[in-house]
Amino acid sequence: MRDILSSTRTRLRRALRGGDSDDDAVTDDGRVATDGGTAAGGAAGAAGTGGLLDRLDERIGEDFTESAVFWLPPFLLMGLFVYGAIAWNFVISLTDYQGFVGPDYSDLDFEMYVRAANDAGVIEATVNTFLLVVSFTAVALAFGLVLAILVDRDIRFENTFRTIYLLPMSLSFVVTAQFWLWMYNFNNGVVNILLGTVGIGPINWIGNSQIVLWAVVFALVWQFSGYTMVVYLAGLRAIPREHFEAARVDGASTLKMYWRVIVPQLKGSTISAAIVLMVFALKAFDFLYSLVSGYRPPNGTDILATKMVREAYSVNNWAYASAIAIILFLMALSIIGPYLYYQYSKGEL
Amino acid sequence: MKDTELNRRDVLKGAGGVGAAGMLGLAGCMGGGGGGGNAPVEVLHGWTGGDGATAADALEEAFNEAHPDTELDMNPIGGGGNQNLDAVVANRLQNDNPPSSFANWPGPNLARYEGVLGDISDLWEEAGFTDSHIDEAVDLHQYNGAFRAVPLGSHRLNCLFYNVSVVEEAGVDPDSLTSAEDLLGALETVATETDKIPMTHGGSGTWTKAQLFGVMLLSTAGYDSYMSFVDGSPNRGDVVGALDALATVFENYINEDSASIGLTESNQNIIEGEAAFIHQGNWAAGAYRNADGFDYNEDWGFKTFPGTEGMYTLHFDSFLYPSNNPSPEATRTWLEFVGGTEAQIAFNQYKGSIPTRTDVDMGEFGPYLQETAEDFANAEQRPPNIQHGLGISAEQRSALNDVIASEFSGPYNVEAAADGIVDAVSN
Repeated sequence: MRDILSSTRTRLRRALRGGDSDDDAVTDDGRVATDGGTAAGGAAGAAGTGGLLDRLDERIGEDFTESAVFWLPPFLLMGLFVYGAIAWNFVISLTDYQGFVGPDYSDLDFEMYVRAANDAGVIEATVNTFLLVVSFTAVALAFGLVLAILVDRDIRFENTFRTIYLLPMSLSFVVTAQFWLWMYNFNNGVVNILLGTVGIGPINWIGNSQIVLWAVVFALVWQFSGYTMVVYLAGLRAIPREHFEAARVDGASTLKMYWRVIVPQLKGSTISAAIVLMVFALKAFDFLYSLVSGYRPPNGTDILATKMVREAYSVNNWAYASAIAIILFLMALSIIGPYLYYQYSKGEL
Repeated sequence: MKDTELNRRDVLKGAGGVGAAGMLGLAGCMGGGGGGGNAPVEVLHGWTGGDGATAADALEEAFNEAHPDTELDMNPIGGGGNQNLDAVVANRLQNDNPPSSFANWPGPNLARYEGVLGDISDLWEEAGFTDSHIDEAVDLHQYNGAFRAVPLGSHRLNCLFYNVSVVEEAGVDPDSLTSAEDLLGALETVATETDKIPMTHGGSGTWTKAQLFGVMLLSTAGYDSYMSFVDGSPNRGDVVGALDALATVFENYINEDSASIGLTESNQNIIEGEAAFIHQGNWAAGAYRNADGFDYNEDWGFKTFPGTEGMYTLHFDSFLYPSNNPSPEATRTWLEFVGGTEAQIAFNQYKGSIPTRTDVDMGEFGPYLQETAEDFANAEQRPPNIQHGLGISAEQRSALNDVIASEFSGPYNVEAAADGIVDAVSN
């Protein structure tokens, strides 16, 4: 495979340059259009194409144009459907687009963002989103770590336990939301029945706006701590046995061993699990939507995602919904950005 | 060696071919909206389950029988109480790919489709709909001075349903209740005399509360104040009065699990004899009809919501006409059919609603709907509803529901909610 690639590359290079003798010669070979054309506009043999390719090569490296076939198509697709969509969404958020008579792109301003900053509903949704992300991530991490350490201690039926804890993760939000809606029922929900046996409650989990967000966080933790456990378990398995033994020989207690020796080595696992959990929390829309089968979640759990969809589809305020989407995007970016930078600075990206 | 080169080029050509085919496919999708005169009528609606699905099937069958030459493509989109339907319609209108017609509410609700609805005034004229439908239907199907939609049927909103055995156990005579105060008294009696829920309420969404607020306002403040409310000049004192009564109901007389149940479960409390009263539009009666051994007047009863006697709070199920229509001629055939006697009988007898025409023989309908049709014809006033499009615009409705979500879903802040509601609907 490698041979074929390298010989192809040599031949391509020759074709692009139009001969071995003169590297700067302009070629009118049709193959320029086939291969290089993706990068340089495609006009076969147009004067300057070869020169441009050379300059690109000089600037970015020999492989740049040659490898274009491999990276360019996905680059264009991602660029158009992901980054292009984000950019377009941003432009729409600068217009006053609402209803069905197309947006007016001639009058762009940040009015929608000003409106969002003054909208008590958006502020509340932002606070709720933030609380949800932070508390859900922290609790799911802690819970997953404890589970992973317990499962890792050579217990019996280890695989069974692992499966049991991971199973909720495989269920769709639609299913788990319905589960928890029934379990949180004031009169006959299993949560209140269990609490009732120890003399607590009954508690109005869904109807009390002070509690409901935490009830949702708990349900999400239930669903995702199994995932955290698996990530931590992989991290634990990667730590050499010797570290456990060395700590033991030095006389560390079990608690101290984990706290001082093992957990610090799980930094990588913690970071990658935290990122995934946070992104899931930002997408809790599905869960809330299924909980009430509608865009308007119980009072006290309105997050930016539900607010955004409501603005877009209940009242067709496209520009305003786009602005909320950008706010949500920035929140996600503020989580992902530092992570990417951290990876980059460690040379892992 | 030659082979590899060929392969490489073939791969590239192939990739280009696939890409081009993909673009063509995409273009095909985008251009799919256009069509000639024989294009089928594509109709979007949200009736996917229970009565709605049966009624939609009956409607489709009746159309195919009456117009065998016109192809009908009924496209049900269920879920989320029309939210999914609205989202699909919104996306298609936005992409300039409208369906031939879609189900929605007329009235101020039409404002949300400003600029994309066509004018079918001549159709109303030709088909004689202006004479055969009630005046309110004629008014509410116009927007910006032109007809935009055709009504198919009407539900009633000011209904109070009850379980006969529970109210008998409590010793309450529903027919004697003629004001909101009477109702509160009756709820108190049920609470003290029985261990049943006085008034069952499915509050997982805000729409049931908004709907109950509407009828409570009509009951406590009267028709004139209600009409000035929907016309954009609400009387704050009257709003407070309605909210006070509502807060009393919510704080004392509803089921404790109301926040985690919806209409279906709530209505089940009536059927199972767990609750005395429920307020709902008369679509709730469909569930009673489908329940075994649960008969009108023997097991369940209907009372005009106390304080709104002589009124019929209007609701319309209508089909809207998008401009830039993919099948203008066939769509006209469809809409003319929808507003006609045949369609209204076929659909409404299963849907549990009544025709909006005044000349329909109600013989094929059950006793309950016959009574409803009588009330409809004889009503002194037919106020528009608040939560289902006829009274206020979508924007106002959304704002009103925001207020109810934040101020009136427990704890019940009457003053703050009144400020918010007045603010939401004021011009």
